[in-house]
Amino acid sequence: MRAYSPSNWKHTGVVLLCLLPGLGLIILLIGTVISMAVAQSVGYFNFSGPSEFSLIYWQKQLASPFLHRSVLYSAKISLLSSLISVGLAYMFAMWLRRPFPGSTMLGGLLKAPMMVPGLVAAFLLLNVIAFHGFVNEFLLWTNIISKPLRMQNDSFGTAVIFLQVWKQMPFALLVLIGPVQSIHNEIFDAARDLGASAWTRFRKIVLPLTLTAMQAALILVFIRAAGDFSFQVIVGPREVSSMAQYMYTVQRLYGEWNEAAVVAVVLMTMSLTGALLLAAVSQFLVTGRRR
Amino acid sequence: MLKRTLIAAATALSFAQPALAADDIMTKPWDDIVAQAKEEGQVVWYNWFLQPRFREFVKGFEEEYGIEVTIPDGTNEGNFNKFLAERDRPEGDIDVMSVPGDALSKFDPKTYFLGPLDTLPDFDKLRTEINSGDGKGYAVAYWGNQTGLAYDPTQVEFADLPQTFDDLTAWMTAHPMEFAFNDPQGGGAGKAFVQMAVRSKVSDADLKAEKFDAGWDWFKSQKDNYGYTASNADSLTRLNGGEFHLVVAWEDHLAGLQKKGEIDKRMKFYIPKFGMPGGGNAVGIPANAKHKHAALVFVNWLTSAKVQEMLATQLGASPVNSAAKGVPGGVPAEQRAYSVDWLAADTTDAISRQFLEKVVLGQ
Amino acid sequence: MRRSKLNILLVAILVIVLVLWLAVPFGMALLWSLVDPSKAWSYPDLLPQKLSFVRWTEMWETTNLALAMGHSYTLAPIVAVCTLILAAPTAYAFARLDFHGKTAAQMLSLLPLVVPEFVTALFFTSLLYKLGIYAKFPAIVLGHIVLFLPYAIRILTVSFAQVRQDLIDAARDLGASPWARFSSAFLPVLKPGILAALIIVFIQSIEEFAISFVVGSPDFTTIPTILYSYLGDNFIRPNAAVVSLILVVPNIILLLIFERLLKSNGAVTVGGKG
Repeated sequence: MRAYSPSNWKHTGVVLLCLLPGLGLIILLIGTVISMAVAQSVGYFNFSGPSEFSLIYWQKQLASPFLHRSVLYSAKISLLSSLISVGLAYMFAMWLRRPFPGSTMLGGLLKAPMMVPGLVAAFLLLNVIAFHGFVNEFLLWTNIISKPLRMQNDSFGTAVIFLQVWKQMPFALLVLIGPVQSIHNEIFDAARDLGASAWTRFRKIVLPLTLTAMQAALILVFIRAAGDFSFQVIVGPREVSSMAQYMYTVQRLYGEWNEAAVVAVVLMTMSLTGALLLAAVSQFLVTGRRR
Repeated sequence: MLKRTLIAAATALSFAQPALAADDIMTKPWDDIVAQAKEEGQVVWYNWFLQPRFREFVKGFEEEYGIEVTIPDGTNEGNFNKFLAERDRPEGDIDVMSVPGDALSKFDPKTYFLGPLDTLPDFDKLRTEINSGDGKGYAVAYWGNQTGLAYDPTQVEFADLPQTFDDLTAWMTAHPMEFAFNDPQGGGAGKAFVQMAVRSKVSDADLKAEKFDAGWDWFKSQKDNYGYTASNADSLTRLNGGEFHLVVAWEDHLAGLQKKGEIDKRMKFYIPKFGMPGGGNAVGIPANAKHKHAALVFVNWLTSAKVQEMLATQLGASPVNSAAKGVPGGVPAEQRAYSVDWLAADTTDAISRQFLEKVVLGQ
Repeated sequence: MRRSKLNILLVAILVIVLVLWLAVPFGMALLWSLVDPSKAWSYPDLLPQKLSFVRWTEMWETTNLALAMGHSYTLAPIVAVCTLILAAPTAYAFARLDFHGKTAAQMLSLLPLVVPEFVTALFFTSLLYKLGIYAKFPAIVLGHIVLFLPYAIRILTVSFAQVRQDLIDAARDLGASPWARFSSAFLPVLKPGILAALIIVFIQSIEEFAISFVVGSPDFTTIPTILYSYLGDNFIRPNAAVVSLILVVPNIILLLIFERLLKSNGAVTVGGKG
């Protein structure tokens, strides 16, 4: 690379100018906010006592088994939610690829849950899975079960994953549908003529051509699910906390603002690295296999 | 040289001015405060529950003083975040701030609130310690309430209701998954029950030493017999939905929900003989409140004996002004006697923490 | 055609799924919202005993729902458009320019998404105050833009990457003006991404609670403030149902309008022949 050529300077200038309004604003403001959180995690911005530098909060939290468990639990929920949401979204995107009568309406209905605020979604689900809710009464009525099931706080987190998928799948669909629709029919026809099965066509044509969109969808769903608080509190398992829930526990129950900031920093690191790992693995699986 | 000293002195003075003014207000004669409050003409009260009812209720104050009261919508958490975030603003939006009594230990009332509030004419009749929290004279209680057990009389007869803690254990074994209490973080009712269970099972010496293991053993042995709900409201909703027949609840909360037809009116409330704590909420005036005088006059009105009696009869609260006469309706007086005080804040917090670590998460 | 038969079958299955997916939850919410205050709906009644619109009128009269909706629906479109404009150059750089540290830059652009709510509520708002931005509306707009930039950047990056270089070159070779080049080579491909980004940012802005509440309260109330008051820790079904339904209906109508826009332009996106 010719480091000092005028065209390079010009190129760098264009890049910086492009990044300024978007990334620049983010780094300026969110960068400051995150440094404030980091500062709080080492003893500053204490609301209930004097502020001074200390690593004790990190030592205490990193040694806590509850933090470890909530990191693992949140990672599990986010991973499953993002895989299921993106998988379902691909299915619907492939189906809606070519317009047919009613496909606009269908697309709208599929995306409807996106318009429902998270808390409302949890409330709607609660109505359905309650002890004497719709599902239980229906199962009782059809004699499939003799006693109502308790579905509200199952220990795996199924209800939370269900809610995440209900809410996030439309986002994934919205991100994927454009790129899927822009794949040419000729490519599919050619592949079909060569005798490729539907699965092979999907794997060899759709996945590689929509890789960036898929990564975007995976990243967005993973991060959103990793920060979940309200679904977890209402329908999540009782014996383990999500990271956001644990953070509030440390802050409210323990009154430890600085330690809560440690959990916040861990949460941010986990969502970011988790999302990027997911993107890297999907890249490897899709492009690596083709070679 | 002189000039520089003068400038320095002038700057020092101008910085000292607001602080001086703030101190000044606490030493003014009460009549002056009232006069200035009327000039301010308005007060913004951040209260996180029953806002529509309180908006009706404060009309009495508005008519008496000609000061307009605004009660914004908001949650306990949201209000608290705003309260903390606004600290560095020269003038904040909040004039009067409500906090649950136990939240007083989560921040320093002396730096966040104006005070001490001994300038209030009724101060010696008010409580500054409530619900295991301490306002240190910078916050006063305005709302008292009682925890106990809510039950469905079509499922449990009054005579069969558990009274001692052993009764409760036996009842739970005989009726598995019909009793429930909530996550202590989702509301004080659950916190109250966990504390009472520990107090029933643990000796006084062990309580002092924070050795609560006998209590945790009880929870573990009963694991399959009790329901564990998300919040005060979740417990009552599921009592109403027929999932549970006996749940830990706040008396005023149940009464309020029944009045509005959210929970069926057949549900009843009692205080068991093993005792349940009474609690409450406190108000303070943020140090950077815009309408400080009006806020003082409002807090005085809200905590006065007359208004406390009205809160008791109209909204089901327990009076927290020692001059207020009469007990609220609801449970009979002999049951009121079973009401107990919370343990000290430190012990209460230690119990809630250990419960979370050893019972909820420690499986 | 086999495909059309398959579609009928699939549509039938989907109708059943959608009934469970949407109709049952919303139907239940509607029932709860109609429960008359004089007779609560409790076990063992399978259906409410007495229905009325009392809760709807009461909710409308005792809360500032209309005002909050007005605020939210003014705020959200402004945030969506500003975010889109600010995100576009960064997305263009991510998709079409080569530079050192691009991966790191892309990672940094995700930061606003991972910041937990309490950090936003406490530190972002106090940062806005420290910057001297006390005016509620601009402060919330700025906060929302920064928080939701990552969505727009990510989605537009995908779209920009799909624009075909040969089309741009062809347009240039034909002597097209910059605008003609943009509208013929870029715009058709970008359109679905633009609409998707607008919708997502719009919804996020409508739903955001922490900044809107801490900065906006008491005089600039938005929808989530009311929603959280009725659906937070102490949520109670009948009132929650009323608030939910009032808030969800305009959102769904909006979505259907967006969908129509997306369809009418999206079909063209198949782009040049390959």
